[in-house]
Amino acid sequence: MAETQSPPERRVTPVDPSRRTEIDKQRVPMSARPYRLLALVKQDAVVRVQKEPDDTVMTWPHLLAIEFLSAAVLSVFLLLMGLFVNAPLEDLANGNVTPEVAKAPWYFLGLQEMLAYFHPVVAGVMVPTFLLVGAALIPYVDRGDVLAHKPSERKTAVVLFSLFAILGLLVTFIGIFFRGAGYAITLPWVTGLHFSL
Amino acid sequence: MSFLERVDQGIRRSVVFRSLFRQPYPNDERSRAYAVMNNVFLHIHPVRVRQHAVKFAYTFCLGGLSFFLFLVLTVTGVYLMFFYVPSATQAYTDILQIQSSVAFGLLTRNIHRWAAHLMVFFVFLHMMRVFYHGAYKPPREFNWVVGVVLLFLTIMLSFTGYLLPWDQIAYWAITIGTNMAGYAPLFNTPSKFILLGGLEVGQNTLLRFYVLHIVVFPLVAAIFMAVHFWRIRKDGGISGPL
Repeated sequence: MAETQSPPERRVTPVDPSRRTEIDKQRVPMSARPYRLLALVKQDAVVRVQKEPDDTVMTWPHLLAIEFLSAAVLSVFLLLMGLFVNAPLEDLANGNVTPEVAKAPWYFLGLQEMLAYFHPVVAGVMVPTFLLVGAALIPYVDRGDVLAHKPSERKTAVVLFSLFAILGLLVTFIGIFFRGAGYAITLPWVTGLHFSL
Repeated sequence: MSFLERVDQGIRRSVVFRSLFRQPYPNDERSRAYAVMNNVFLHIHPVRVRQHAVKFAYTFCLGGLSFFLFLVLTVTGVYLMFFYVPSATQAYTDILQIQSSVAFGLLTRNIHRWAAHLMVFFVFLHMMRVFYHGAYKPPREFNWVVGVVLLFLTIMLSFTGYLLPWDQIAYWAITIGTNMAGYAPLFNTPSKFILLGGLEVGQNTLLRFYVLHIVVFPLVAAIFMAVHFWRIRKDGGISGPL
């Protein structure tokens, strides 16, 4: 008979079955449990009245699978983009040759669009400062019902935030698509797109 | 047992393999808990997460994917650094060289560019997702502030990187961008001067943006990310359900 090798186990001295207590039942080899009995706490009641429903799942595999899949899909997307769409590169930088239109990167185009309507101090300094500081202060301004998470329970906050988001999107869109040579208003289907990522 | 199975078994039983992986492939709850707990990369997660948190449509993985893009950008960026000199006379030629004669240079630069834009976009979307879920409410107020700082850092990372190709798009976009900062009251000329290292975009600007882009902002962002992730756990995991 082939002898199977099992890892050495710390044996627990057997207790007379009739005298086994709760503690004896919990005595298992250390190799099987990563924790030890540190203290005994007096039980409040024999039956635990309220037990919170267990709405959790194991991280492995449930969360890790989703994370892995989404990262894989994004990787494939990036690879395809990298293979088929080249990053823009124009002529060598030249301070003496002004391009037809100079546009900031797309995330600043909203601010550049504001520059067309307001004084630079407003568009270039006050608006971005207000947006950043304002965004950071949201949790300290919105001191309403802490438990209200549904959009329907906090309409003011949702409407205000959406308004800012839509405004930001709008000015960015105008900046990207409807501004042509000399940063004048144009229609992209007439004069073409003056924009590069 | 086929040859391949024997090789597989041999590898799994070898001293090296067993020293590398402390336990066999996790198949039950206990070993899966250990796998998450004992792995330096996975232990960012708790062993168990709440059920709504694993629904894709709850988070759309936006925060995680932003972090993933940060990693992609780090790897591709380090590769590009080998072939790039932040000099006004050489930078543009280096980009042309990267595209034409460096192995996978064009692909790497393309991926770096698209991943950068995507990261800014994803961080924006992540912020909106968090807002609409009311996930900034106590006890997560400060983590929202950390997130706003990270958004700012992401934008600055992208903005400083924008200048590095030293072409016309880069030059004029940065000129426009820094002109706006020049209007900051009280210290308007100095703030623009500090940013550009001169009166207009030039060699000093390129070097400043380069150092900010490859060392300062990534390092600061990494620290803030560590705080961001740590606080998610300390504030009781992901918010919700709605």
